[in-house]
Amino acid sequence: MFDWWAMNRNISSHRRKICAVCLICLLLSSVLIGRLCYLMIFRSEHYSQMAEDLHQRERTIKAARGRILDRNGVVIADNRTVCTISVIHNQIEDPEQVTDILSRELGIPQEEVRARVEKYSSREIIDTNVDKELGDRIRSFRLAGVKVDEDYKRYYPYGSLASRVLGFTGGDNQGIIGLEVEYEEYLKGRNGLILTMADAAGVELENAFEERVEPEAGADLTVSLDVNIQTYAQQAAQKVMEEKNAKRVSVIIMDPRDGEILAMVNVPEFDLNDPFTLNFEPEEGDMSSRQDLLNRMWRNPAINDTYEPGSTFKIVTAAAGLESGVVGINDHFSCPGYRIVEDRKIRCHKTSGHGGETFLQATMNSCNPVFIDVGQRMGVDTYYSYFTRFGLLGKTGVDLPGEAATIMHRKDSMGLVELATVSFGQSFQITPLQLITTAASIVNGGKRVTPHFGIRSVSGDGERIHEFSYPVMEGIVSEKTSETMRYMLEMVVAEGGGRNAAMEGYRIGGKTATSEKLPRSSNKYISSFLGFAPADDPQVIALIIIDEPEGVYYGGTIAAPVIKDIFENILPYLGIEAEQTEQESGS
Amino acid sequence: MEAAPRKRSQRFYDYSLLFTIVFLMIFGLIMIYSSSSYRAQIDYGNPAYFMIRQGLIAAVGLVAMIVISKLDYHWYARVWQLGILLAWGMMIAVSLFGRTINGRRRWLGTKSLSFQPTEFVKIAVIVAMAALIVRIGKDIDRFAGKFRAMLIVLPLALIVALNNLSSGIIIVGIGFVMMFVASKRKIDYIFCVAAAALVLIFAGPVCKALAGMGILKEYQLTRIFVWMDPEAYPMDGGFQVLQGLYAIGSGGLFGKGLGQSIQKMGFVPEAQNDMIFSIICEELGLFGAICLILMFMFMIYRFMVIAGNAPDLFGSMIVVGVMGHIAIQVILNIAVVTNTIPNTGITLPFISYGGTSILFLMVEMGMVLSVSNQIKLEK
Repeated sequence: MFDWWAMNRNISSHRRKICAVCLICLLLSSVLIGRLCYLMIFRSEHYSQMAEDLHQRERTIKAARGRILDRNGVVIADNRTVCTISVIHNQIEDPEQVTDILSRELGIPQEEVRARVEKYSSREIIDTNVDKELGDRIRSFRLAGVKVDEDYKRYYPYGSLASRVLGFTGGDNQGIIGLEVEYEEYLKGRNGLILTMADAAGVELENAFEERVEPEAGADLTVSLDVNIQTYAQQAAQKVMEEKNAKRVSVIIMDPRDGEILAMVNVPEFDLNDPFTLNFEPEEGDMSSRQDLLNRMWRNPAINDTYEPGSTFKIVTAAAGLESGVVGINDHFSCPGYRIVEDRKIRCHKTSGHGGETFLQATMNSCNPVFIDVGQRMGVDTYYSYFTRFGLLGKTGVDLPGEAATIMHRKDSMGLVELATVSFGQSFQITPLQLITTAASIVNGGKRVTPHFGIRSVSGDGERIHEFSYPVMEGIVSEKTSETMRYMLEMVVAEGGGRNAAMEGYRIGGKTATSEKLPRSSNKYISSFLGFAPADDPQVIALIIIDEPEGVYYGGTIAAPVIKDIFENILPYLGIEAEQTEQESGS
Repeated sequence: MEAAPRKRSQRFYDYSLLFTIVFLMIFGLIMIYSSSSYRAQIDYGNPAYFMIRQGLIAAVGLVAMIVISKLDYHWYARVWQLGILLAWGMMIAVSLFGRTINGRRRWLGTKSLSFQPTEFVKIAVIVAMAALIVRIGKDIDRFAGKFRAMLIVLPLALIVALNNLSSGIIIVGIGFVMMFVASKRKIDYIFCVAAAALVLIFAGPVCKALAGMGILKEYQLTRIFVWMDPEAYPMDGGFQVLQGLYAIGSGGLFGKGLGQSIQKMGFVPEAQNDMIFSIICEELGLFGAICLILMFMFMIYRFMVIAGNAPDLFGSMIVVGVMGHIAIQVILNIAVVTNTIPNTGITLPFISYGGTSILFLMVEMGMVLSVSNQIKLEK
C-alpha cells in the first residue's frame, strides 16, 4: 500500500519547483513568440515575396497592336477581336453536353472534341481564332469548364493592298515582314499581365486575389501611302501584267519633294489576311521548300531586288555630264549606230544610227553612243564621284527591312568598256527604289531625299505623338542642272521616246527604258518608264517596271501608257490642275 | 488526520481547464478542416475527411476524459508495473510487426483500427514515475533512487527513439521534469539543461566536424544543415521547413483570414499534421499565433495550480508529468515550425491531426481533472 502523504512536508519545495517549471515554459514561450515576431514582422516581406513567387502564375493580356493608317487616316491594318475556346477538365460538369455543343458550334468532329474534353490536363485548347460572335454564342451557353478568351488578330481591310509593303503579323501578333516589322517597336504596345495564385499543382485558385497590369495598346502608325492612289496603281499594274502576260509589275509613286511614297505596288500581291497560302502555282520541278516559295511571294522586288535599269539610268549620266560641264544641252554629236570603245563595238538600239543630233535630241532618242561619249568625256573618276554624290552606291535608307544595295563595278576595276555600258544603264544593278529616288533628287532641285513610308506614330491614348524625320542631302546637283534635266525629260515625253505618256494639259517629264535580261540570248526583257509631273515643278514621280512582258516589250510602248493612265487619275486627285494655257505642243 | 471518513465536502473541479481543453480541441478541428480540406478533397473526395475522423475520435476521447475525471486516480498506482510491461510489450510488438506508414514503423493494429503505442508509453511513464517517486520518497536525491527512475524511463525512451526520435526525447523530457520537481536539488538539473543547450548551440559546427570525420551519417546531418540555412537546402529536407517559413512569413500581423492559406494547397506537406502551426500563422497571423501560445500557457498555469494543490504527492506528480508532456510538445513543435531547432516530427497537442494522440491526450486530461476533482475546497 502506498503512503500517499509521505512527502507532504516537502510540499512547499514541490510548489517552488513546479513554479520554476512553469516559469521556464513561460520563458521559452516568450523566446518563441519573439522568434515569431521576427519571422512575421521583420521577415514577413521576404517570405511573403518568396511565397508569392511560388504561387503566382502569370497570364498575359495581349496588347492591341497599333493600327496602320494611310496619309488620309484610312485604316489599312486593324485588329479584330477573336476568341480562343478551351476547356478545363476539372471544372467540366457535363462532358456530354460540352462535347455536343462545342462540336456543333465549332464544326469540329465529336471524337476530336471528346478526346480533348476527357484529357486530364489543366487547360486544353479546342479552337483558336474563332469569330467574336461565335465566341459570344458559346459563352452564352454558360457551360461549366469552358473558357472563351478574347484575343486580337491582325486584320487588313483592303486584303492584298500594298501587301508586300505593309507586311503581316504572326501568331504572337509580331510583325513578320514589311512595315509591320520595321515599326514593330511602335506598333506592338506592351502586354498586360494577370497575376493569379495557383496551388502546388499549378491549378489557378478561384476567387484568389488577382493582380492586373493593364496592357498598353501599341501606337497607331500613319504612313505616306494613299489608299486611293495605291488601289488605282495596283489595278493599272494588274491590268498591264495580264495584258502582257508579264511575270511581275512594280509601280512606285513618290513625292519627289520629300521622298514620301504614295504607292508601292508589286503585282501579283498576296492576301494579307491569308499570307500563308501561295498565290501562284509552283512551276513543275520546282524543288524549293514551301518556306522558300512563301518568301518569294512575300518579297518586295521594288526594294529587295536589283535589276539592270537600262535607259532610265541615262538621267543620271546626263545630270552628271551637265553638272560636271563636259556636255551642254545643245552640244552636237553624231551616231553611226554604234560606238567602238577599246576593242568593243557597242550598238545603238537604232542600228542604222541617229546621225547628227544635239545632246537634247540624243536624250529624246535615248541614243546610246552619245551617252557613251558623255561618259567617256567625264572619265571613270568624275563619273564615279557623281555616283557617290548622288547617293547611288549605298542604300536609300527606306524604312522597310531587307533593302538591297546597288551592285556596281568597283572603281579600280572599271575600264572604259564598263564606263561605256554603265553610261546607258547596263552591266550593273540597282533597286527600282534607288533609281526613282535618285531621279527624284535630280529633278527636285538637287535635294537627295530619303524615300519613306512612316510619317508619325500616335500612342494608343493619343498622348504621345512622334513625327518621324528623315535625312535630306542638299545640293547633289545645282538648281540649274536640275532645271535643265526637267526640261530635257519633259521634251522626252513631249516629243521623244516617252510620248506615249504625254497628257493633254499637263507637263510631264520622263524617260523610258527597255533592258534585256541576262543572259542576253534569253530574249526576256524588262520594260520600264519613269515619269514625273508637273515637269516644271515635280510633285509626283512614278516608276513602272514590267518584268518579262510578252509581245511588244518597248518601255515607251507598254510602260509609258500605264504611267499616263495613272497620272490622268491621280494628278487631279492630288490637286494638280491641268493647265488651261496653251501648252507647248511639239511638231 | 485528513484521511477522515468522507463527508459531503465540496469538491473542486477545474472548469477553466476543461473549458481550455474543449476550446483547443474545437479550434484544432477547425484548423484541421482548414488545413486539410484541399488535400482531403483531392485524395478522398471529401474536404471534411480528416476533420470528421479526428472529430469522432475526439468525441470518444471527450467522453473518456469525463469518465476518467470522475474516477479516483489512486488505482493507477497499483497497476503501474503492468503499464510499463504493457508499454514494453507494445514497443516490442510494434518493432516486430508494426505497420509502416510513410516509411515509419509506428503503428499497431489493422488498417481500419491502428494506433501509435508511443502515445500509450507516455502515459505509462507518467504514471510509473509518479508511483515510483512516491514510493522511493527522499531516495530520489540519492544515486539508487535516480537509478531506479532512470531504469524505468531510459530503456523505454531508447526503444521508442529507435523509430521515433522525437517521442523518445519527449519521454526523456517528461521523466526529467518529474524528477526535477520531486528532487530537492537543483544544480544537477540546471547542469543537464545547460549541457543540452550547449549541444544545440554547437550542433552546427560539431556536425560539420563529425561529417568531416565520417562518424555521423549523411541523412542525420542534413537535418542540422537544413536547420542552419533552409534556403540553401530547398531540395533535401529544407523544403518542408522552408514552406512552413513561407506560410508563417506571409501571415503578417493578422494573417490572411481563416481558410485563406495558400501554402496549405499542397505546398506545406501534411499541413494538418506537424506543420499545422505554420498554417495557423498564415491564416490568423501573429495575433492568432500568440493567442494560441497564451492559451497553452494558460493551460500549463492551470496544471501548476492543480499540481500545487493536489491532495497528495502522487496526484501532484501525475499533473506534473502531464504538464511536462504538453509543455515539451508545444514548445518543441513551435520551435521546429519556426526553425528555431532542427526539424523533428512533433505534433502540436490538441491541434495536429492524429487519432492516437488526441485520444491519449484526453485520457491524460481526464487524469488531471480527476486530480483536480480530489481537491477539497476549504470553507
